[in-house]
Amino acid sequence: MVQDALRTSGSGGGLPTTAVWNGGGRGRGFLRGWQVQNTSINIKIMILCGFVTILVLLGTVSFGNLGSSNADAVNQNLIKETEPILAESPSASVPTDLEELPKPEANPPTDLEEPPIAEEPSKPEANPPPELEEPPKAEVNPNVTYTLGPRITNWDSQRKVWLNQNPGFPSIVNGKARILLLTGSPPGPCDKPIGDYYLLKTVKNKIDYCRIHGIEIVYNMAHLDEELSGYWTKLPMIRRLMLSHPEVEWIWWMDSDALFTDILFEIPMSRYEKHNLVIHGYPDLLFNQKSWVALNTGVFLLRNCQWSLDLLDAWAPMGPKGPIRDEAGKVLTAYLKGRPAFEADDQSALIYLLLSQKEKWMEKVYVENQYYLHGFWEGLVDKYEEMIEKYHPGLGDERWPFVTHFVGCKPCGSYADYAEERCFKGMERAFNFADNQVLKLYGFSHMGLLSPKVKRIRNETVSPLEFVDKFDIRRTHEETKP
Amino acid sequence: MIERCLGPHRCRRIQRALRHLKVTVLCLVLTVVVLRGTIGAGKFGTPEQDLDEIRQHFQPSRKRAEPHRVLEEIQTGGDSDSSSAASGAGGSNNYETFEINKIFVDEGEEEKPDPNKPYTLGPKISDWDEQRSDWLAKNPTFPNFIGPNKPRVLLVTGSAPKPCENPVGDHYLLKSIKNKIDYCRLHGIEIFYNMALLDAEMAGFWAKLPLIRKLLLSHPEVEFLWWMDSDAMFTDMAFELPWERYKEYNLVMHGWNEMVYDEKNWIGLNTGSFLLRNNQWALDLLDTWAPMGPKGKIREEAGKVLTRELKGRPVFEADDQSAMVYLLATQRDTWGNKVYLENGYYLHGYWGILVDRYEEMIENYHPGLGDHRWPLVTHFVGCKPCGKFGDYPVERCLKQMDRAFNFGDNQILQIYGFTHKSLASRKVKRVRNETSNPLEMKDELGLLHPAFKAVKLQTNQV
Repeated sequence: MVQDALRTSGSGGGLPTTAVWNGGGRGRGFLRGWQVQNTSINIKIMILCGFVTILVLLGTVSFGNLGSSNADAVNQNLIKETEPILAESPSASVPTDLEELPKPEANPPTDLEEPPIAEEPSKPEANPPPELEEPPKAEVNPNVTYTLGPRITNWDSQRKVWLNQNPGFPSIVNGKARILLLTGSPPGPCDKPIGDYYLLKTVKNKIDYCRIHGIEIVYNMAHLDEELSGYWTKLPMIRRLMLSHPEVEWIWWMDSDALFTDILFEIPMSRYEKHNLVIHGYPDLLFNQKSWVALNTGVFLLRNCQWSLDLLDAWAPMGPKGPIRDEAGKVLTAYLKGRPAFEADDQSALIYLLLSQKEKWMEKVYVENQYYLHGFWEGLVDKYEEMIEKYHPGLGDERWPFVTHFVGCKPCGSYADYAEERCFKGMERAFNFADNQVLKLYGFSHMGLLSPKVKRIRNETVSPLEFVDKFDIRRTHEETKP
Repeated sequence: MIERCLGPHRCRRIQRALRHLKVTVLCLVLTVVVLRGTIGAGKFGTPEQDLDEIRQHFQPSRKRAEPHRVLEEIQTGGDSDSSSAASGAGGSNNYETFEINKIFVDEGEEEKPDPNKPYTLGPKISDWDEQRSDWLAKNPTFPNFIGPNKPRVLLVTGSAPKPCENPVGDHYLLKSIKNKIDYCRLHGIEIFYNMALLDAEMAGFWAKLPLIRKLLLSHPEVEFLWWMDSDAMFTDMAFELPWERYKEYNLVMHGWNEMVYDEKNWIGLNTGSFLLRNNQWALDLLDTWAPMGPKGKIREEAGKVLTRELKGRPVFEADDQSAMVYLLATQRDTWGNKVYLENGYYLHGYWGILVDRYEEMIENYHPGLGDHRWPLVTHFVGCKPCGKFGDYPVERCLKQMDRAFNFGDNQILQIYGFTHKSLASRKVKRVRNETSNPLEMKDELGLLHPAFKAVKLQTNQV
């Protein structure tokens, strides 16, 4: 009908055809009437188009509007909740290394008429906006519980038997428990080349520390399990390494964005003889506040034993990608204080596990905060000069942090939670701060904490061994042994 | 006017057609907008993304920084100023436009070499053997042999202090060091990854000389120093070097006697992967090797000498490899009897003749051979993944480096029951199921607990 009207009157400027055909001499009156009709038809069309446009825009933009207002509300809540935490415990730790930013959940526009063209999935609960990075695979059957592998119940005895049979591979070497440092990064290039440069530097930093302290490194660049992707990839790898290397007493997980900044400091393993998991955190934040940042799973030690296998099995179920992880995320956000709404991450899941099954696990967990097994970078990177002036390596705590962990910087991704200049400057400074401690043996030092160049601080001599005795960190440790 | 040209009838038809066209276009545009709004259009995005972008454009760090800013650590000194300054003044959080070289700051002055003095790596030491053996005797917990016939080895490699010019260069450096970490872990070898230029005069390929000397003198417990270029990868994880064979030698390089001593061919040996024993002989060799290295006139002139004296050498400044060929060819009596030119296995394997045969190797052979059947090292000479200009097409180089990496990585992954889906793929697949008796499973290559890694005696052997 609209088409007919268009055809007869001509949309916007066409000559009136039928009127002319019917004989032009009808007179002005007729012409004016016809013009009015023409105009009214035009107006109708305009209104129709305008209406459709508004509908369409409302349908799409409305998601955005509600989303942002949700985020603001979330932010306000966060601020309200965390201020009391921070007032009580001044050294609260901070969000862990998140692969993806927490995306505020968008509610479906229930109060608006949904345009019939827009096809919304018919789930009653809110769906996060479509993630274009990771297309969710609908392969996981939520009824079948995910497992890391077939259940093992006698790992302690299996291990003991093996160690007896293989005296060439003891779990204690030179009086120290054998530790395996596990770290890794994604298999492909980083989003930006600068990310790979910093991964290279952090791996050099780890190589240096581990060489000096007799620790072996496994650098993982493979996704062993499609379902446990992102921050969860460490779980299957840890389990795999434990089972393949019975001679290893401790597996030490370390994030790729964490750097050693106290090369002299050695972990006081004797403190943990009765424990199986050593993790940095604050008992107050954990038990009283139930904060989602009470512990940090960016750096931790896990003993190779049955207890740990059980812990991994209990920890993994929130991990599988897709609806399980999303649902678990909601549970965690509801349970833990200050947690934004996003899918389940390994840190929140561990805190939840340890809190909800406290009697089962906490006895063997050592929540360490006497030294920086994990040190949040923001409060540390500006202080390096002060530390060099006042203190010395070997302390491991806030005076000379053991580990500086660049949480939230995400050098391998595209977007960080912090300004990139600050992040990279911080990483450069932390790297050079640590490298200076390594280069001391060789008589060199960086030309400033922001410089990749080095300068000589000790002339060459014909008797270099006196300096080796003085500066080699391994020898220092040897001498101070009881 | 159109009427007059074409006649009223036709004119009307054209106008009708135009009207229809307008309507069609309008409807089309509407449809596209609606569809984009609902199902999105790939890289053209959705209106929500547009909004996000607009929002970000006007409020760069506010939204994302807020929830985390609040949770930042507040120091007892009251540094809340610094935290707000961080998210406010830092500019965008997008690494897209970040220029890394802007953050580097060199403080102080670089040392200027004295132009009158001839170059030297350091003051001459003549009693290094005695110094070292004294030290080893006093430090029995740092033996130079970690097992019978197994010397303590330090693998030394490195790359330039600044980021690569080629954007993917750093990624390949990372893969290369991971590859070395894996081999060295299996074989009980320590790694030193150098990222410092110790001597500005010996820049480029010569940078290894001052570094090697420094490491030999600082690590008397190291018996052999194994230099390896950053563009060389281990492709045989099971091959253990035949240390016994080198008992009487101080320098082991891949090469051929005839090509070095008779032909004086500039590629008669390769200094991309070699072993150097920690003793006086090595220090003397380094002192004799170095003089062609200093940047500038000396290196240029030396280059001309080398091009003239060596077979097949192109014209360019002196490089350490040609200098070594020249040194050995002209001073065979002094050095030759302690140099072993190894060609029984690929201590250095030129990639050009190896990389296309990996599939054939997998089918016909097995790891542990180290030679042309299963090369120990695949060395990507001429590829220069870190720089902008190599001698070979970039794509071929990078593709083959991926293949070589996966070829080596498969040998590590099979220990844990995995393998790459193909030599070109980053993804891995399971080849062995998990069991509840993991210790009964033996990995085929015996790399989990190889004999050469077992902890043994702690005595010194000279």
